[in-house]
Order: sequence, then C-alpha cells, then structure tokens
Amino acid sequence: MAGLAATFGRGVMTNHWIDYKNSDVIVAVGANPAENHPMAMKWIDRAREERGAKLIVIDPKFNRTAALADIYLPIRPGTDIAFWGGIINYALANEKYFKEYVAAYTNASFLVDPGFKFEDGLFSGATPGPDGQVKYDTKTWQFQKDEKGAFKLDPTFQDPQCVLQLMKKHYARYTPKMVSDTCGMTEADFLKVAELYCSTGRPDKAGNILYAMGITQSSHGSQNVRSIAITQLLLGNIGIAGGGVNAQRGESNVQGSTDMAMLFGNLPGYLPYPTAGAHPTLAKYNETTPKAGFWTNRPKFLASMLKAWWGAEATKANDFRYEWLPKLDARDHSHMSLFESMAQGELKGLFAWGQNVAVGGPNVDRERKALGKLEWLVAVDLFDTETASFWRRPGVNPADIKTEVFLLPAAASFEKEGTVANSGRWIQYRWKAVEPLGDAKDDLLIADQLYKALRDLYAKDGGVFADPIVKLNWNYGDHPDVAKVALEINGYTSADGKPIPMFSALKDDGTTACGNWIFSGYWADMEKPMAKSRIKEAPGGLGLNPQWSWAWPANRRITYNRPSADPSGKPWDPKRALVSWDGAKWNNADVPDFGWKDAATGAMIPPATSANAPFIMNAEGKGLLFSPSAMKDGPLPEHYEPVESPTTNRLNKRQFNPVATISGKGEFGQLAAVGDTKFPYICTTYRLTEHWQSGAMTRNTPWLGELMPDMFVEISESLAAKIGIKSGDQVTVSTLRGEVTAPAMVSPRMKPVTVHGVVTEVVGMPWHWGYRGMFTGDSANLLTPHVGDANTNIPEYKAFLCNLVKAGATGPVRR
Amino acid sequence: MGKGMLIDLTKCMGCRGCQVACKQWNNLQAVPTEFNAEFTNPPVRSAYTWTTIDFLITEVDGKTVSTFTKQQCMHCEHPACESVCIAAAIKKTKAGPVTIDYDKCIGCRYCQVACPFGVPKYQFDKATPKMQKCTMCADRIEAGMETACAATCPSGAIKFGERADLLKMARERIAKGNGKYIDHIYGEEEAGGTAVLYLSGVPLDLTKLKQGVTEEEVPNFTWKAMRQLPALLGVVGLSSLGLMAYSSRRNAVAAAEEGARSGAGAGKHPSKGGKHHD
Repeated sequence: MAGLAATFGRGVMTNHWIDYKNSDVIVAVGANPAENHPMAMKWIDRAREERGAKLIVIDPKFNRTAALADIYLPIRPGTDIAFWGGIINYALANEKYFKEYVAAYTNASFLVDPGFKFEDGLFSGATPGPDGQVKYDTKTWQFQKDEKGAFKLDPTFQDPQCVLQLMKKHYARYTPKMVSDTCGMTEADFLKVAELYCSTGRPDKAGNILYAMGITQSSHGSQNVRSIAITQLLLGNIGIAGGGVNAQRGESNVQGSTDMAMLFGNLPGYLPYPTAGAHPTLAKYNETTPKAGFWTNRPKFLASMLKAWWGAEATKANDFRYEWLPKLDARDHSHMSLFESMAQGELKGLFAWGQNVAVGGPNVDRERKALGKLEWLVAVDLFDTETASFWRRPGVNPADIKTEVFLLPAAASFEKEGTVANSGRWIQYRWKAVEPLGDAKDDLLIADQLYKALRDLYAKDGGVFADPIVKLNWNYGDHPDVAKVALEINGYTSADGKPIPMFSALKDDGTTACGNWIFSGYWADMEKPMAKSRIKEAPGGLGLNPQWSWAWPANRRITYNRPSADPSGKPWDPKRALVSWDGAKWNNADVPDFGWKDAATGAMIPPATSANAPFIMNAEGKGLLFSPSAMKDGPLPEHYEPVESPTTNRLNKRQFNPVATISGKGEFGQLAAVGDTKFPYICTTYRLTEHWQSGAMTRNTPWLGELMPDMFVEISESLAAKIGIKSGDQVTVSTLRGEVTAPAMVSPRMKPVTVHGVVTEVVGMPWHWGYRGMFTGDSANLLTPHVGDANTNIPEYKAFLCNLVKAGATGPVRR
Repeated sequence: MGKGMLIDLTKCMGCRGCQVACKQWNNLQAVPTEFNAEFTNPPVRSAYTWTTIDFLITEVDGKTVSTFTKQQCMHCEHPACESVCIAAAIKKTKAGPVTIDYDKCIGCRYCQVACPFGVPKYQFDKATPKMQKCTMCADRIEAGMETACAATCPSGAIKFGERADLLKMARERIAKGNGKYIDHIYGEEEAGGTAVLYLSGVPLDLTKLKQGVTEEEVPNFTWKAMRQLPALLGVVGLSSLGLMAYSSRRNAVAAAEEGARSGAGAGKHPSKGGKHHD
C-alpha cells in the first residue's frame, strides 16, 4: 500500500471488484483470485465472455487461477521488480506507452535534481544505517524548481535529467535476457506477455493488474507495488474503468482496519501519528502539513478527530487536548519489532484480538517463545487458537510458562452487526443473522466493557496520565449502539450532534467532530445511512453501483478518474466515460476525483484546471513515475534479490534491498548465506481456498477440514525423483529457523526455475496449520525469516531458502 | 422436460463451495479424510458425500493442465435406477430430479449397479441402510429455489434452470465461444439424455466425466444389465433384508469398494483414525 500512496496519493485499490468486467487484459501477479478471492473470478469471467478479455497469471506455481488462464508465466519467487522492470523497459524502448496520457498526467517531464545518481546498487544520498544497511537522504531525489517555486519541466522530454529520460536509462538494463535469467522464464514467454499487456497502452483498451500478498510479502514489497503502479501510469491504465492497480486485501476488512488506524504509524484516515520529539505541540504537528494538494486540509481532520475523542474538553484554546494524544517514540512498532522487544522482556502484556500470531508470525517458534515473556496475554477469538494455547504447545511444559492467559470468546461476523470496508473501499453494513453462541460477545461490547472498567479504575485509583482515559468522550449506551459509533466516525456538528454530509464540511475551530475523515458521508443520514443502501445499478452500465453501500472517498468508485478523459475533458474511450466535459459543464457517471465545481458558487470549473493536477492527493498534482520523498528505498524501483537467495544479484552490486529491515541480532537473526549449499531450494508459502489465514476458523469446521485435512509440501516431479519420493510420502523441510514435516505433493504444478543458467527447485507450502483445533499440522512459518520490507516491515514470507529430505518417520509428525 | 443444471467446466475454479453447500443444505456429516495429492477430497462419493469436484492435474505436450469436474447424480431423463428399483422407491419426478423415497427404499443396491454413472451410494454404517445420492435439491426446487450448489457457485459455473433452456444456452455458448468449447454437450445424449449437462473446453479425456456411456436410454438394457450383476449384489441384497446380521460383512465390502476406488496419490496416515468426526 505504501507503493500506491507514493505513486497516486492514496494507498488503496484504485478500482473495485465489479469493475474487473471492463478490462481487456487482466494480470494476476502474486495473486491467486480463484483460490483466495473467488468472487473476483466472476467478474474476470464476465470480461472474458463479454469482451474477449485475456487473463495472464504470473506465479511460481500453476495454481487454480492458472488453470483457467490464457497465459501462465512461471516466475522465481521474489523477482517481481526484475519482471516489471522488463515490462517498463519494453514499453519505453518500443514506444508502447500512452504518450498523451503520460505527458499530461504524470511527472515524466519533471526535472530531477542534478545531483541524482544511481551507482553500484545505491541511489544518491545513502548514509550507513544499522546492520550494514543504508538510510537515504532524499535531497537529490527532489524536483528542480524555478525562482518562483514552480516545478521545472521539459515538455520535449529531451533533458537527460527529466523523469522520462532517467527512467529510460535506469530501465535499459532490464533487457528480456536479464529478465529471463533473473526470473527464470524464457525470453519468448516474457515477450509474449509484454506484447499482450502493453497492447493496453492506448485509449480504447484497459489493462488491469491484480496483486496480493505474493507482491507485498517481500523485503522490497512496496517497490514491487511501485513497479506495477509505474507500468499502469505508462500505459494510461489509471483512473479508467477496467484499469487500475487492484490490491486484493488479505481479509474482508483489512481495508477497514487500516482505514481505522490499525497500522502503528497512523491515526484514523491515514493522518500521520505524531512523534514525541518532533511534534510536541499541535502547531509543530501542523507545520508538517503538505503545502499543496488535498492534504493541505489535514489540520481540519485532526482537530475534528480530537474533538470527537475528547468532546467538550477539547477546545480551540487548549489545542483540542492535543497534549492528551499519545505520541510515538522514534522506534519501529510493527509486528516483527514488537516480538523482538517481547523476546527481550520489554512488553508486559498483549491483546491478540482476532489475530493468531502463533501460526501467522514469521520465524514463529521464536515468536511463540517470546509470548512466554509476557506477564499476561488476552486472546479474543472464536476458538481456542494456537496463540491462546501457546503455553501448552507440543514440546513445552506449561509449568515453565508464567504468562497469565485469558481467552475471551468473540462473536463471528454473522453474530454481530456493523460495517466492513472491502478492498474496493465499499463500506457495507452487515446485519446480525443469529445470536452468538454461549458466552461469546461482539467485539464492540468487549471493547466497551474493557474501556469502562479501565476508566473506572483510573477514576478510583488515579494513575499516570489518567486524564486522556477518564475524560474520553465515550457515550454509546450500556450495550454500545453501532449507530452512535458510526455517527462519531462519520462526523457531526458539535453544536447539535447532527451528522455532517461530507469531509468538506470539517473545520479546525472545534465546531465539527469526526472520528475518521475519509469515512465522512457513509453515515450522513441517521435513518437511511448509505452504508445500508442496497440499490443495484441498471444492467448495461459500467458496474459503478453508486447506490450500493458507500465507497470512500466521497463515494467515488474509481479513484483518480480525471485521467479517464483527455485534458480537454473528452473521455479517451466514450464507452468507459466516467467524467466528461461538454463545453459548458461536467457530466459525471462517477463522483469526480478533482475540483469540478466551485463549492461556494456552484460554478463549473473548466477542464484545464484539473488537467494540470489530476492527482489531487499529490503535492505535484501528477501521477508519480518518479517518487521523490515517500519511499525509503528509492525514487525508482530497482531489483534486489530476496534476503535469502540462491544467486548473486546480477543487476547491481547490492545483494538485497539496502534499506530492508534485517533482524541481524539475537535469536531472530538466523539467515542463510547467498547460495548456501545446505539450503539449495527456494521456498515459498501460500494460501488455499479451503482454509482461512491461520486456520482458526476453518480448521474447526469439519466440512472445510475434510476438503483439505493436512498440511502438505508441494514439489516438482524432478525434485521428487532426485530424493526418491512420491506423493504422500512424508518429507521434512528445514531452514535455519526450524523444520516442518508433512506429506509431499508431487505435481506438475510446480517446476524448477533456471536462474542465471542454474536449474533451481522451488518448494511450496500452505501456511494454514498449527497444533490446535480439529485439523492439525506443522506451521509453515516455523521456516520463515524475520526480515521485512523497507517501507512497511511486512515480512518476507514468499521467498527464502530451504532444504528438503525424505522424513524418517512413517506417520505424520504433529507439533 | 423438467429442470436441470448446466455445468460449464471452463468457468469452474475448483473452489468446492458446491461440495460444502451440498453438505450444509442436506445436513451431511463430514467424513474422515487424509491428504490427497490430487486434491479431490473426499476421494470418492458416498452416502455422506453426494457431490465432489474431481481434480485432474497432468501434463499435455509439456504443458501443465489442471481441470475441475463437478460430479453428482446426472438425473437421467430415463433413469436405469428407477427401472430396476424393486421397491418402487426411485422416481423421475416431473420437476426434473430423480428422487429416492426413503420410506420405501430397502437398500438392495440394484440401482447402484444399474446406474451407468455409478451414482447411488449405500449407508454402510446404518442398521437399516438406504441408498443415498444427490436429489437435485428437490425440496428447494419445490420451494421455488435453485439447487444449493448452483446458488453458492461464485463463478457461475453451475446454472440451474429448465433443461430445454439450458441446452439452448449451451448451444449458444459453443456457437459464440470462438473455439473455447469442444463441440459436445455432455448429457444431451449420454444415457439417453440427462438433466445435468456439461460444457468443456478440453477433450473429455482431460476431465473426470465418465466416457463411453451409451447414448441409448439405459432402461432398455435393464435385463442385460441385471444378468451382469456381480455376486456381491446377492450377498448385500440379502443382508439388507436380514438388516443387522451382516454389518461386519458390510463394512468389509465398504472398505474394499472405497479402497479400490480411492486411486493413486492418496497418502496413508495410519495415525489419523476417525478424529475428524468429533
């Protein structure tokens, strides 16, 4: 998601699921919709049936989506930047990109600082960081400005410092031969895909790239996403129906949870979290407000959020109690870092709320051990999970673990009500179907009772920094009312508590309160909130369905939709018109994602204004082919090997992402060397249709368990022949972190890849199993490394090194 | 003609939502299974598993091919099972489904042997066993609903409707498909016509559909078929009349039949037992 925000301004799926039906060429890369997002296939199939669309699947294994694809292209795990770099080079070198679009709507003509360089695998500005890694000062990545502060441009694209020329130079190294040798695919197959996909770089065609965890779970995951985003900008596939970079989220409400600040560095609505040193006051925080683009409104969003949190206590005079807002220290507090701190005994307690870390975490045996350093652990879940029972896992003596563990039974989605925000940003209300079983309670009630108990304790006994808790504006009723919470998230006017219509109504003077500005509008009508609206679009349309639920922001279904029309406002393709200027006014099928009407006067804003800045969330106003500030690991994506790799990096002198998070110390630090002969195979993990994430729900459902009862290890026929096994034989897979024993699946779905001339086997395994529930098995994450992406710290689950041997035991080994 | 289903194998993605929806609607228990490298699970249909997606993973000319074939009762237009049912329990209903009246069924297994697709299954674990199979959700159809499998299918591979309409739809898809389909509607002629129809994008030997099924109405062969009944039918037929006396024999037959059909690739997990039943 970091890669999307750094290119377009928002870290979201640009289009939505139903829009897939409008695509002409669809690429599923690091995504497996048939298995992990089955409903996507309905709309992909619609595109194929009605438009003759082509489906390309790029994945290390021939998965169930590949079974239905027009073209299947195998790829070595962890080499996506090399592949997409090859596509970018193909488009630039063969002039397959959509020139008018690129000229008008991207920063291709911007001039970059003369000091910008890329040498020996490093961009200019590198300074030594921890663990042999580097940190970048982004000064030389910035754009040149004239004396008036305007960006310097070269509309002829001839200046060697203009973005287009820098990109041509950077990507010229990504030749079909280099792609083939690095990614383990033939040049002919690569060129076939390049030609087909780049055929969408014209006004009347739409190309759609779907990705999921196969792209993000990498030490350069955000740059994988950037590569895809750049490709789509070059081909003019952003902002149009049937196009987009469609990030398929890993769970039904991941979008909603990150919208609501699940990520440690964010407040709700992606407001950056203040840090203790840099932002001691509201004024200091607001000094960091971007100077251009829509984020100039940020102070209104924060003031309204603080007003929502502390109600009458928050006034303009007291900076809306900004001092009560907890501040971050300078440290990383993402998952891996949290567990490393836990292992050091730095954490007292943990809420594992609907999260089964004892199956899902990387290097999971070390993470299970770290849980034993806690004083207390609260698991809130539907079932007794591996996390809730970590103290009685196989091989440990419960008496040795002092952690006090509580398991709070939670209601399932059908047993509670509220909204879920899907990948396409639709916030849909779900009604309760049945009462929860037994003592199970809905999460809102659990949170409400927990808060009230804490508040009462602080009120009675006092404590450090009690005010923010005791004086929190928390009034949702005895059994908390979802509608009251929703009203607060939507925002209301402070004087009368009435909902505001949209975030444009928010103020920084205390007259408005709003829990999450991007959701403003989903609950603007207390009687008939849009989140509950269920009106289908008439057949024959683009499938925007504007009256089916509500999509953030502002009920826009396709974000960045100004570029769907040419600079004069005429749709590039009339059959996909989203917004169109008829000479006097805008005619809109979707909610425009640009200034089209003067809010005060209602006067239409002619197309020239928005044509100049179609990406309103970016200070530059353009789609960022070259991203000057937002990425920690470079303004352009560059191929680096996964941290554990069978080969040296042939594209540059740095082996792996020089900014990636490496756990070089202590018990989380075991990493195989490059080409380690003790671990000769590439290992990758994946998910199956039949199970859900850590399996907490599905391994407790007999009908699902019978479909996929056991953990397994998928290998090629050549590897099976080499070690003398057949399907069903037990094999043991090992890394420096641990080992897994499970039956082998010997299958033509998995093939070795040829990496710089060396045939290298790939081992695949699903990661759904653990030691609790009705269907048990080894967890694949016993094997995965504690290393992560430079920007997001997402662990590198998809590419590491392993060994594989025939297991000594005859029966399945359970642990 | 009554209702039927059109199963378009080019749209099936092997998610097996249909298998689960079938068990849920018909309240069929999960059965103990173990890892199957071909993915098909349970590996065979039984009294408790009326429909399966049968996976096929192979190579053709060096290219990996993976197909998913939904299997269940074909609901013949002229069912052999009905013609051999000595208890008159099996009926081809006007609505389309071939149903078994459990009050009449004596569990003689004639239908299983007569069926050209081997569909009806025996309740090996019951004191008074009945024959079991897909009912095409006759109860749902009566209530104006589509079958559970069709209702749940995310990709729209299973279409429920009037058989005549589905045949028309199938012909249109072949005509418009631009070579996407093989020119054959499986079930249009097989066994004299079945209510369940299939479209395929690959030759049928790359699916798990039964091949070499006669195109004549199978009841015409009933007596020929009856003469070929294997000896075990007599034993089991007697046992069903004698009810409980032969339960141990029944289990042996069950194990032998299912073992023989589970095919290659199923790993053996001796420690597994029946734990998935709890």
